[in-house]
Amino acid sequence: MSNSVEIIWQNETFHLLPEKAIYWEREKTLFIADPHFGKSAAFRKHGIPVTEKTTEDDIYRLSRLIQETGSLRIVFLGDFIHAKQSKTQVLRNLLFLWREEFPSIDLHLIRGNHDLGAGDPWSELNIHCHDEPWTIFKWECRHHPNSNLSVPYFAGHLHPGYILKGKGRAQLRTACFQIGMGHIIFPAFGSFTGLKNIKPESGEQLFLTNGEKVIALPSSKSFLRKQ
Amino acid sequence: MKATDGQEQVEEFFKAQKWKAFPFQKKTWKAYSEGKSGLIHAPTGTGKTYAIWAPALIEWINEQQGNRIPKRAPKLRVLWITPLRALVEDTTRSLQELAEGIDLPWHIQSRTGDTKSSMKATQRKKFPSCLVTTPESLSVLLSYPETKEAFSDLKTIVVDEWHELLSSKRGTQTELCLARLRKWNPKLKSWGLSATLGNLDTALTTLTGTNENGLLINGDLKKKFVVQTIIPKDMEKFPWSGHLGGRLVEEVACQIEQAGTTLVFTNVRSQTEYWYHALLSVRPKWKEKIGIHHGSVDRKDRTEVENRLRTGSIKAVVCTSSLDLGVDFSPVEQVIQIGGPKGVARLLQRAGRCGHQPGAVSKVICVPTQAMELVEYAAARDAMEKRKIEDRIPLRAPLDLLAQHLITLALAGGFQEKETLEEIRSAWSYRHLTDEEWSWTLDFIIRGGKTLRAYDQFKRVIVTKGLHHVESKIIGRFHRMSIGTITSDSAITVKFKTGKNLGTIEESFISRIKPKSNFFFAGRLLKLERIRDLTAIVSQAKSGKGIFPVWGGGKSPLSSELTKAVRHQLEKAKDGHYQNKEMKAIAPTLRLQETGSTLPSADQFLIECTDTREGRNWFLYPFAGRLANEGLAALVSFRLSKITPMTLSMSFNDYGFHLCSNTDIDIDQNQWAELFSPDQVVDELLDCMNLSEMSKRQFREVARVAGLIFQGYPGAQKSARQVQASGGLFFDVFTKYDPENLLLTQSRREVLERQLEVNRITEKLQEIKKQKFILNYPKRLTPFAFPLWAESQRTQVSTESWSDRVSQMAKELEKLHER
Repeated sequence: MSNSVEIIWQNETFHLLPEKAIYWEREKTLFIADPHFGKSAAFRKHGIPVTEKTTEDDIYRLSRLIQETGSLRIVFLGDFIHAKQSKTQVLRNLLFLWREEFPSIDLHLIRGNHDLGAGDPWSELNIHCHDEPWTIFKWECRHHPNSNLSVPYFAGHLHPGYILKGKGRAQLRTACFQIGMGHIIFPAFGSFTGLKNIKPESGEQLFLTNGEKVIALPSSKSFLRKQ
Repeated sequence: MKATDGQEQVEEFFKAQKWKAFPFQKKTWKAYSEGKSGLIHAPTGTGKTYAIWAPALIEWINEQQGNRIPKRAPKLRVLWITPLRALVEDTTRSLQELAEGIDLPWHIQSRTGDTKSSMKATQRKKFPSCLVTTPESLSVLLSYPETKEAFSDLKTIVVDEWHELLSSKRGTQTELCLARLRKWNPKLKSWGLSATLGNLDTALTTLTGTNENGLLINGDLKKKFVVQTIIPKDMEKFPWSGHLGGRLVEEVACQIEQAGTTLVFTNVRSQTEYWYHALLSVRPKWKEKIGIHHGSVDRKDRTEVENRLRTGSIKAVVCTSSLDLGVDFSPVEQVIQIGGPKGVARLLQRAGRCGHQPGAVSKVICVPTQAMELVEYAAARDAMEKRKIEDRIPLRAPLDLLAQHLITLALAGGFQEKETLEEIRSAWSYRHLTDEEWSWTLDFIIRGGKTLRAYDQFKRVIVTKGLHHVESKIIGRFHRMSIGTITSDSAITVKFKTGKNLGTIEESFISRIKPKSNFFFAGRLLKLERIRDLTAIVSQAKSGKGIFPVWGGGKSPLSSELTKAVRHQLEKAKDGHYQNKEMKAIAPTLRLQETGSTLPSADQFLIECTDTREGRNWFLYPFAGRLANEGLAALVSFRLSKITPMTLSMSFNDYGFHLCSNTDIDIDQNQWAELFSPDQVVDELLDCMNLSEMSKRQFREVARVAGLIFQGYPGAQKSARQVQASGGLFFDVFTKYDPENLLLTQSRREVLERQLEVNRITEKLQEIKKQKFILNYPKRLTPFAFPLWAESQRTQVSTESWSDRVSQMAKELEKLHER
């Protein structure tokens, strides 16, 4: 877990990983939101030429994460498969091969809006599917963020991104974790997904990731674990 | 020439209207009757429309046996293409006027993206005799297999405002459509109507295709143009951008009072908002009497302003290039231009918006926002008189558009490779299309390119026995819907709570405004309530201050023609000739430039070096327009930092650029000559301009045209939303997995040619090579250097204190020189 950043949230320690995932070491659990597997297949069905390599690489990245962290459980915070048209033979093969690699890992999916459209993943993958919210320890795992909640939660759905401005016309857009006292909004795991520009609210801190490194934006409220 | 019967009828109608056919109109009638194609060029409002519409009607009358006019409307005979939807209705009306005037049973209808779908369906079953439409709508029509039969009697296609389309992708799209129509009917006549251009021959060939020699007809009736300038009473000697105009509001208001209806042109949308409010603040009673018009104002409001212009029931409209084109607003008596003219053609076009009555003078009153613009007005007047006008260069084989067009052809019953390649190459822009580009594009639409061969479910275009066709209905529907939608990636709709639409604004601007604070938009002071789902909900603000929105797109550079004309004026000034009002007014500034440094002649390249508290400043004046100057600045500082590593800040304008360094190194003439060497320019520009970021932005448009981005439509099904991704995302995926994708190459080329004007940079460097370097060390900033210095301060301080700081500095400099 090189290049990860440790934070304290709800008195628990988490690793924010540059691969756009969060690892909970105490329970050996990996949290991932919005992989949108097979998204490009839906595009191809509509005559838009995009390669499936993005999904291939995303699954490869997932395998590497499991190996590096030694995770025993993964919780997907929704939008596992992008659309009905995404359920192609190609994607099936990719996911089945991946499952064979890690036969004993415990998999959970909180259904997101895309999962409702696409249907649950192939049952042979043995993924436990739950409607949101699904409570783990003392917080909820959801797909849709809900700012009216008093319960702390993890959510996806938004694909948060942040624009860093440099000198002159230079600017850079990157994905980010959006963290507040009562919530953590995840960046989208899928690499063929867009970003929604956000700005931190007061009491929130953003952690930017470019896939290689996680950087904490300075904020009045810091979640960073002091080393 | 013996008049034919049809011609007699038309001439009788003209007589009844007390019109007389101009010689150029008669010349067109004759050429048309001989079956020729051609291009008529003239300023607006000189009768180009009837020059070509009359002979098309005459032709039909003369075809009727025994000259008995049948009662039934003929099949489609004339297609009339116009670049703006706003022009479609007016054109239809004026075509109807003549056809009805001579009692012809022709149906003349319009078809655009706004036409109701029920109407569109009816039209496709039975086309009118003449259809007025846009390039996009024509392209959609060509995607239906039945269109070929419906167009079998088509005699003529007329393209209005061809100069406006010529150098854009819409122009290229028109070329491709024309190539198809000509293939169906090799005798088809193509006629273009155009404003005057520098490269009329190219404009003609681009219209008629490479297989035909068309005719150029000059319809320039030597209309008189007058350029006047409001000279500020107290002129400061140190020009800087923007603030000067504000002081002239009262004068502008007086000018508006003296005329019936006035168009007030500005160069950018934010200036339009600013001037509208400035005018209201000196004439509060004008609230109901003046209007605002620019591309981001809601279409309904724009149409209302246009209607009031037509009837003359509006005192003035503050507008941008959104009113440059077409529609004949006869009541307009006067045109005011705020700020620099940027190009000769543009000023000519704008001046031509008034004085539509025969024999009337087209007058434009110029209002400088910066002292150097005085020189530009004098220069533009000179160039207008000599008709030295800018070229418009057609694009070179854009592959995104080719891919789009090939799918259109595949939908319309399919195509064979060999004959279609021939057809495509008959279009001027694609005449040099290489075999490699062709095969790549075919592969892209069939298999989706190299990286997609592994997936068999990609079947956009299918090849059966050599016939390229589309089977999937979804693909067909998506394709038709995506032809010709305009890129509006991050546009936010501005709306009242009640639901009334006000227009669109850029996300980058609105995201800087805090809720409950005020901003100006569409001529109103608004309070931002909240932003939700790409909509900004606003309410009318009671009063108080607000900020003016900024739109991207940037400022257009001073054209090459105008830059040359400016240098010519400066040269005359150097010889002591200040011949006109503008040059006399700016004489003190230019003399100061001369005594403090040099007023460069055309064969001199001036460089000034002055130390200020910021450090060592280099001011260089290539006179290349702001885009090319920016490129040159990047290039030179890149080369400089390769020799000696240093931090340089830079700024630029239309005349030159400024480099500032905190070291005190000296650069001699020989070194400068090295730094401006024309060798390796393109490669080095690629290295230093952050080209990949720029290409990524440009790729939005490419991806949309090539059919990668489906923008959806109001009420689109959910399935449509699942296939939306941004251009930037495609750019990243292609760059990673398919780096040889030619669309990436195209996007890079578009950045180089359009955003960096790389050709102008190369030409400039060749020119500089022959020029004599004048290296001066003025103690204080010169009038030429001052605006560049001021620009460089802008990036460092907030806007308000910037203004204070710059005016302070200008005053100090003036005092020093008075001593």
